[in-house]
Amino acid sequence: MERILAELALFMPAVLFNIYFAAASIPVGFGLAILLALGKASRNPLLSRFCRGYIYAFRGSPLFIQFFMFYSLALSLNISLWKPWGISWFVLHPLFIGPLVLTLNTGAYTAEILYGALRAVPRGAIEAARAFGMSPWQQFRSVVWPTLIRLAWPAYTNEVVFLFHATAIVYFALPVIGQQKDLMITAKELFERDYNAFLHFSVAALFFLAVSLVVFFSFGLVYRRLMRHLPAQPGLRFAPKWMR
Amino acid sequence: MSDDIAFWLAYLTNGKHLTWYASFQFTIFAALAGGALAVVFGLLGATFRNSRFAPLRLVGGFYASIVRGVPDVLFFLFFPLAFEQGMEWLLATQVCSPGDIAAQTAAWPPCQKANWLLGTPEYLILASVSLGLVYGAFASTVIHGALRSVPRGQLEAAQAFGLSARQVLWRVHIRQMWIYALPGLSNVWMLIVKATSLLSLLQIADIVLWADRLGAPNFLPTVGLVHDDWRWRYYLVLFVFYILVTLLSEKAFAAITRRVGRGVLSEEHN
Repeated sequence: MERILAELALFMPAVLFNIYFAAASIPVGFGLAILLALGKASRNPLLSRFCRGYIYAFRGSPLFIQFFMFYSLALSLNISLWKPWGISWFVLHPLFIGPLVLTLNTGAYTAEILYGALRAVPRGAIEAARAFGMSPWQQFRSVVWPTLIRLAWPAYTNEVVFLFHATAIVYFALPVIGQQKDLMITAKELFERDYNAFLHFSVAALFFLAVSLVVFFSFGLVYRRLMRHLPAQPGLRFAPKWMR
Repeated sequence: MSDDIAFWLAYLTNGKHLTWYASFQFTIFAALAGGALAVVFGLLGATFRNSRFAPLRLVGGFYASIVRGVPDVLFFLFFPLAFEQGMEWLLATQVCSPGDIAAQTAAWPPCQKANWLLGTPEYLILASVSLGLVYGAFASTVIHGALRSVPRGQLEAAQAFGLSARQVLWRVHIRQMWIYALPGLSNVWMLIVKATSLLSLLQIADIVLWADRLGAPNFLPTVGLVHDDWRWRYYLVLFVFYILVTLLSEKAFAAITRRVGRGVLSEEHN
């Protein structure tokens, strides 16, 4: 028991890094996703094509490769760009480039979710809004967006949990600086010290599971609030389809 | 101009590059074996969840939710390590004498004789199994849903024709299940393809590791072409490779869905 408590204490600072990566990339990624989803649905063929291609590329390739690609790209631009500008300590830092790549990645996945929801918004509602003489912005603000976010919320919850899980590979692709270790690196280093795979990896898994449950619970509360005008909705369930 | 082409051709076909091209076999093997195993584990998991015996149902549900509740990387790393340790422990109970165990100073293995050294083929198989285990949990949800989507009337008709329970399951239920499972299984397949990029974490010299080695800056003319950091170019190639694989898989799944969907009524056919 004491052993497990000591183990939990060892992982406490590590889980903060995973939470940081997720928390830093989710809000920006959400904003990016709204732009991408609207862009994909846009009537401008150039914009629509670009957004479609972006979403396809980032959903169709592994996050692991994306990490390596962006990090090595940043490294190769170091001499010509970052160093003269004096920002290489910032740009090349895992705490910056990790959330950057995660943002680009989750932006694409979330955009696909939002785009699906956007297409599911009833046409009649939009036509009614237009008949009332609403401007395009008013239509979006008061008719499209409220329906869209309600339709997309359960899938977005999964995406957030999945993004949190994806933070596990950040430090397999980026350098570990000093004591800045996330859950996976901590588990791996402890394993290499005493070869107790079952204890260390289980504790890491427990942390991932616990944070996932917290995310599910809090996003479920938001969903309840979004759906408060409807009678007795079934809440979000833990472990629905997690498709990425 | 032609000199340039000859030079680049020679560069792209030197020994290291050929090894890189050869290492695609590991990725392809892991994807195919992992995919096949995921369907097997998915069928098993779905069968467990449909079982009439409550503990089996519990095991099926537990498998599906726990494996999906932790990151795939964690399980991907944990399973081969745990399997290796388990085998070494079993081996130790057979070959280690008390003297050997007392002589052992390292934390693992229990004695030197019980050390099981794994090479690339073993790790590749273990990686495929763990891919199958992880994504089998996803597949089990898909198949579980698909089994419930088969119209009841079909099963009742089969029973009325005098088919035994086993015949109904294999000849009607599972046959008809595929058309409902295919969209979900296609998603699982895409996940497996993307997860094959993690093979280098298990010390397999896969495409990612070779891309890193080939692109690393080289300053010694004796080692090969002198170039600065080209890693991003090699990773860009892998990036495009995976996108192409996704594109091809989508096309293949569309073709399979059309073929499996022959004779099944759906909105498209009406």
